[in-house]
Amino acid sequence: MTLNLILIFARIPRSKLRGMRALLRFNLPGVGMLSYIFKKQSHVERLIYDYLDTLQSTQKNFLNALEACLLNGVFCENFEYLIIQTHKFESRADDIREEVKSLMYEKALIPESRGDIMLLLDSIDIIPHLFEKVLYSIQTQKLTLPDFIIPDTKELIKISLECCDLMIREVIALFKKNERIRDLLTQIDSNESHCDHIERRIIIKIFDAAIDPFQKLQLKELIGLIGEISDQADRVSKRINIINIKRRV
Amino acid sequence: MFSLLGGIFLGWSLGANDAANVFGTAVSSKMLKFHTAAVLASVFVIIGALVSGQAGIETLKGLTVFNLEQAVISSVAAAFTVTIMTAFGLPVSTSQAVVGAIVGIGFLNNQINFTGLGKVVSCWVGTPIGAAIIAFFLYRWLGRLYNRADLNLFESDALLRLSLIVAGIYGAYTLGANNVANVTAVFVGAGLISVFSAALIGGVSIALGVMTYSRPVMETVGKKLVRLDPFSALIVVLSLSVSVHIFTLIGVPVSTSQGVIGAVLGIGIVKGANTISRRTLLNILIGWLLTPVLACLCALTIFFLLHLYYIPPNYA
Repeated sequence: MTLNLILIFARIPRSKLRGMRALLRFNLPGVGMLSYIFKKQSHVERLIYDYLDTLQSTQKNFLNALEACLLNGVFCENFEYLIIQTHKFESRADDIREEVKSLMYEKALIPESRGDIMLLLDSIDIIPHLFEKVLYSIQTQKLTLPDFIIPDTKELIKISLECCDLMIREVIALFKKNERIRDLLTQIDSNESHCDHIERRIIIKIFDAAIDPFQKLQLKELIGLIGEISDQADRVSKRINIINIKRRV
Repeated sequence: MFSLLGGIFLGWSLGANDAANVFGTAVSSKMLKFHTAAVLASVFVIIGALVSGQAGIETLKGLTVFNLEQAVISSVAAAFTVTIMTAFGLPVSTSQAVVGAIVGIGFLNNQINFTGLGKVVSCWVGTPIGAAIIAFFLYRWLGRLYNRADLNLFESDALLRLSLIVAGIYGAYTLGANNVANVTAVFVGAGLISVFSAALIGGVSIALGVMTYSRPVMETVGKKLVRLDPFSALIVVLSLSVSVHIFTLIGVPVSTSQGVIGAVLGIGIVKGANTISRRTLLNILIGWLLTPVLACLCALTIFFLLHLYYIPPNYA
């Protein structure tokens, strides 16, 4: 009888499997019991989406700060405010991450998933820290970009933040399966290589220019920090791919 | 009632040791609290013993003819063997210890049901092999289904957790159904209790072992299983339960620990990985040979010791 059951099960069409998925997602009426059993797990899932929203807000503030002041070539009053806002969102993201961790220590999810999510969040969390680091570098070192590198820097920032957006979509795809992870991975990978090219191009321009050598080093460090954003997004993307592959039997 | 104490002790140690094979994964990985697992295991062990435990009891009591004293001796000999082998860290199967002790009593009575004994021994060999075959096919079929469902991280997590709990419950049911015969079959053979009472007393004593002393074993054995990925751990528990259920229907008590080893081996074959060391396989072989022989010798020794009489010299 057991073997028969297995055989019947193995021939379930895809449409029926989607129904089973809906049941697991607690979408069907009358399965409140399941969501009660896995309430900590649902809470973890909600918190992760909150974390991603906060990450997007941090990213938005970071971009506003850069656009408003640095790329326009002037230090406006808004810059301080936007740094504070970026820091606030970054701290909020940290708090959510800690909440997710403590929830998981309270035995939500199986150990393997716990480990994967913790490492994933730790890895994503480097990105808002990089946003902050870039802004603090500009603020504390009172940096202004020379005109000859502004278009390339704008492009570097744009593609780096695109990488972050794709990375967020990839995280959501891992949890919702609404997009193909491999496609997003490929896009992030190609964006990251593009960023590396731009970064190298800017650094060459900096060292070719007739500016103060000390400023050259400062600018090189800043461009390196901005370039690190896409590198980190690429690392996260690869980690997500591994987590996804690991789940296949 | 006093005569049943050996059997109850055997049931207690069986519960303390073997519940780990079915709920160890869920408890050691903190998917389930120990108390919840212990209550679920106890309830389903008793249900299993009452609903499906009779066949095994009939097989073991049919291996030889007992009187009450012999039933107590075989039960104590089996318990003693299990304790000694556990103390020396040797692999031990309660089922094999009980059958070894019964055969010892059979030698004394000069009456052994060799057909029944052959069935029992072939099932011992069949336990790890059967579990390995079931694990091999279950892993492939359920794996295909699991991949086709293309679940996300939270869905697969929920499915695996729920399945491990359900598989654990099924495993507890089959443990009770299969192993209750080890605990009280000899007393049914001696006419001390009915089959129903034997199933009830056996089930309750196994449950007692689960409730009082299974936690450390669950955590140790469970951690070994958790080293497998969660899907494989689920397949191990499921294959063990299915194979033990099959042997329950045949009516032969088998070793759940050997079933686990067989299932892990089966998964290793599918994955092309070396999941079991030669030493573990050697340990099973030692267990197969040593446990029944030792239990048989124990039963004979206890019998002879009980029948030694002091004869004063002037009467000699």
